[in-house]
Amino acid sequence: MSKQILSCIVNGESTEVLVQPYVTLLDALREDLGLTGPKEGCGTGDCGACTIHLDGEPVASCLMLAMQVRGREVRTIEGLGTNGTLHPLQEAFVRLGVPQCGFCIPGALMAAAALLNEHPRPTEEQIRYGIAGNLCRCTGYTKMVAAITEAAGALPAKGA
Amino acid sequence: MAVMKTTREVKGVGLAIPRPDGPEKVTGQVQYVADIKPKGMLHAKLLRSPHAHARIVKIDTSRAKTLPGVRAIVTARDIPELKRKAPTRAHAVLAIDRVVFVGQPVAAIAADELAIAEEAMDLIDVQYEVLPAAVDPLKSMQVGAPPVADAGTEADTSEALAHSGVAVAKTEAAPTKAVNVAQQAKLGRGDVAKGFAESDVIVEKTYRVPMVHQGYLEPHAVLAQWDTNGQLTLYSSTQGSFNTRSEVAEVLHIEENRIKVIPVECGGGFGGKIRALCEPITAVLARVTKRPVRYVMTRREELDAGMPAPQVIIKLKTGAKRDGTLTALDAETVIESGAFSGAVLTMSAVFVSSVYQFPTFEVRASEVLTHKPSIAAYRAPTAPQTFFAIDSQMEQMARELGLDPVEFRMRHLMKEGDPMANGQPWQSNGAKQCLARLAEHPLWKSRAEWKASGGKDGRGLRGVGLAVGGWIPGLQPTGATVRLNPDGSLQVLTGQVDIAGTNIALAQIAASAYGVDIDKVKITTGDTDTAPMTGLSAGSKTVYTVGTAVLQAAQDARRQTLEIAAKEMEAAIEDLEIEDGRVVVRGVPDKGVTLASIGKKGNLYMSKVPPVLGVAHPAFAVQAPAFAAQLARIEVDPDTGEVTLHDFVVVQDAGKAINPLGVEGQMQGGAVQSLGIALTEGMMYDDAGRLMNPSLLDYRKLTAADLPNIETIIVEVPAPAGPFGARGVGEPPIVPAPAALANAIHDATGVRLTEAPLTPERIALALASR
Repeated sequence: MSKQILSCIVNGESTEVLVQPYVTLLDALREDLGLTGPKEGCGTGDCGACTIHLDGEPVASCLMLAMQVRGREVRTIEGLGTNGTLHPLQEAFVRLGVPQCGFCIPGALMAAAALLNEHPRPTEEQIRYGIAGNLCRCTGYTKMVAAITEAAGALPAKGA
Repeated sequence: MAVMKTTREVKGVGLAIPRPDGPEKVTGQVQYVADIKPKGMLHAKLLRSPHAHARIVKIDTSRAKTLPGVRAIVTARDIPELKRKAPTRAHAVLAIDRVVFVGQPVAAIAADELAIAEEAMDLIDVQYEVLPAAVDPLKSMQVGAPPVADAGTEADTSEALAHSGVAVAKTEAAPTKAVNVAQQAKLGRGDVAKGFAESDVIVEKTYRVPMVHQGYLEPHAVLAQWDTNGQLTLYSSTQGSFNTRSEVAEVLHIEENRIKVIPVECGGGFGGKIRALCEPITAVLARVTKRPVRYVMTRREELDAGMPAPQVIIKLKTGAKRDGTLTALDAETVIESGAFSGAVLTMSAVFVSSVYQFPTFEVRASEVLTHKPSIAAYRAPTAPQTFFAIDSQMEQMARELGLDPVEFRMRHLMKEGDPMANGQPWQSNGAKQCLARLAEHPLWKSRAEWKASGGKDGRGLRGVGLAVGGWIPGLQPTGATVRLNPDGSLQVLTGQVDIAGTNIALAQIAASAYGVDIDKVKITTGDTDTAPMTGLSAGSKTVYTVGTAVLQAAQDARRQTLEIAAKEMEAAIEDLEIEDGRVVVRGVPDKGVTLASIGKKGNLYMSKVPPVLGVAHPAFAVQAPAFAAQLARIEVDPDTGEVTLHDFVVVQDAGKAINPLGVEGQMQGGAVQSLGIALTEGMMYDDAGRLMNPSLLDYRKLTAADLPNIETIIVEVPAPAGPFGARGVGEPPIVPAPAALANAIHDATGVRLTEAPLTPERIALALASR
């Protein structure tokens, strides 16, 4: 099989890249675009470490083929903050000491960011279900939930 | 060396501050092994056995070799260093002529692309003669079971030594003809038969916890590269770069100084990345192809053929008198190690018989091999399983005697000076303080009200349970250096792999010991070429041992700094103090020299002032047992058996919490791993030795939606030999939950479950047969 041109928007920039038609979106991001923030923890959509935003929705990038995102908008952890400043979620994760090994963090942050897009002032239950697809083996989730709660307070409410 | 006191409190030990590499971790900038891709790098795959036990009749790689993009295919015959009777998994690089577990590597491929390597796997033809497999450990111990190890293979005790000096517990090798019993030990004291004869209550139960996987989110990964001088560089996801270097050197017969292990950011280990696993085969592929080769295990490979925790079966009989006096304990522990020996055999025996002080006891422990993946450490190896048994049993005894379960435990819980099962005394510890603190908790005090509030109006059955658990952290010699930079800042160097955030704690120790604020301290984890020899990030010993090395190196640097300043100011060294980045004469604040000026002179052309270089490389003798107590408040659905965890509390003795933020993180994360063992986790094998739940969908780890917030309470009982009194905190929190949950379920329903995980199915069946 020969490589194909994939045109899409990645972290706000129009991007063209040659990819094998059989590679997953995760592999294309990591191996062909050098965006190694999204991680492969399972490759079967069970751990959430590869979570990215596709047209604003959280998806497991290990479960999609790269060519499925033609013409669509992809955002990875590398595109979460703006102009070198941390997103309020990232800032809260650092301040509350959430990351330990750190491997789940990029995916968990993207899931949390999608949650806050949908529920700017989430309840604890909404937060817990919002990141239920993101396994973390270090933190026990308590500090993660607290950080998302704090970040939600720091973010302007929808429509404000 | 006495700790020199500073007159002013510096910002150091005791501060709850976040790790400095947090921003890198939340932006995806931190590099793990799979993120590194040197020019010309090849991808590796391993062809693995589909059979638990089989003879390899023939391996034909000729078709696979012709596939474009395949650069090398290696089998056992291509590795001259490979020997039979491999004592460890690392030595068994590839199967020679017999496979002994599903997932054992048989051939290795290096190719331009991962997809090509995967395609090549399908083109390799392996003919097997399938042999009967020993899958159940109790059957595998019997005479006549299908043999696992090659005859004459020695048991591996290095895992136990890496973890804890308690492995020196006196053991008695019992003669056995069963081929799969790798090690046996017997510990005892007093007349057990007499003890049982004097008992009013005797409780007999068999507890069982299946193999569980550590579940670090980053699978094993390694990148190997040889240079033209025959030097090997390994980028490894490891818990100990120096240990990895030694293992690879031994397996591949090369000098240690020809190997550089770079400890890349480790995406979780929990004991599963202590031992080398795929480093040797990746190094072989890189040697054969003369190219950098990267190998990353898939999750399926991790579950099929990683190094999980052993299955532990404990047959327990305990006796007590009516007034609550303990009389006797008899225990038979079976630890199932899979295909290679390596269990921490004696820790379980010590915990089961001497955490609660039985006047007479006998423990017979066996390590049994089966045709399953060989095991490794998992955070307090065998302790969650053992405390599940003994703390369930203590609760059951208290209930049958009609005694308060906390008072009954407090009465018999060991304290400093009491004998361990091996006759050595228990060192100072906070086990009793943890239990006492938990017993004061409102959730424990109000347990009767909670229980009474359930069961009516269609609501679930409610209960509260608690348990104690702990670990005796390991010891390992280690080194550190502390330098004074020309700008007056400090530079700390160790080889310590920082997984959980230990580097910030080590930097805090350096700050307080030297006398500068934490923002003046930079700490670096060096590779095996540059760092002082440093021990494993395992055994709850980083802060206790490496922290001591950093403390002593910082004190050494401080002494050198003061000596230089004393000479310059013509003052007595005892009159000097470090304050706000200056060395000053006590009581004469105007008279002083800056740390920067001292640092600068250490790097000045023609200067006669030596650079400040604090060095320490201690070895250790005194262990500091570390304990926790946990409480679970639950509700059980009487129809489905489903457990809802409403509240969970962890009380833990940290000795001194160097960084409370990090300590809390350990307590919460450890508790949830403990809850996973209690409630959902377990590797399930069919009769042919195949894993039936080889994905994270079928092997259920707990998610955020399964859990409440984990409440943490830190108790500080100083460890006499620990830096600033600190003791290990990583392992204790994974221990108590299985017993705490079993006790809570018993409180709620009256049924006593002895087999983990405590699934709805087991609970519902037990309720139905009440």
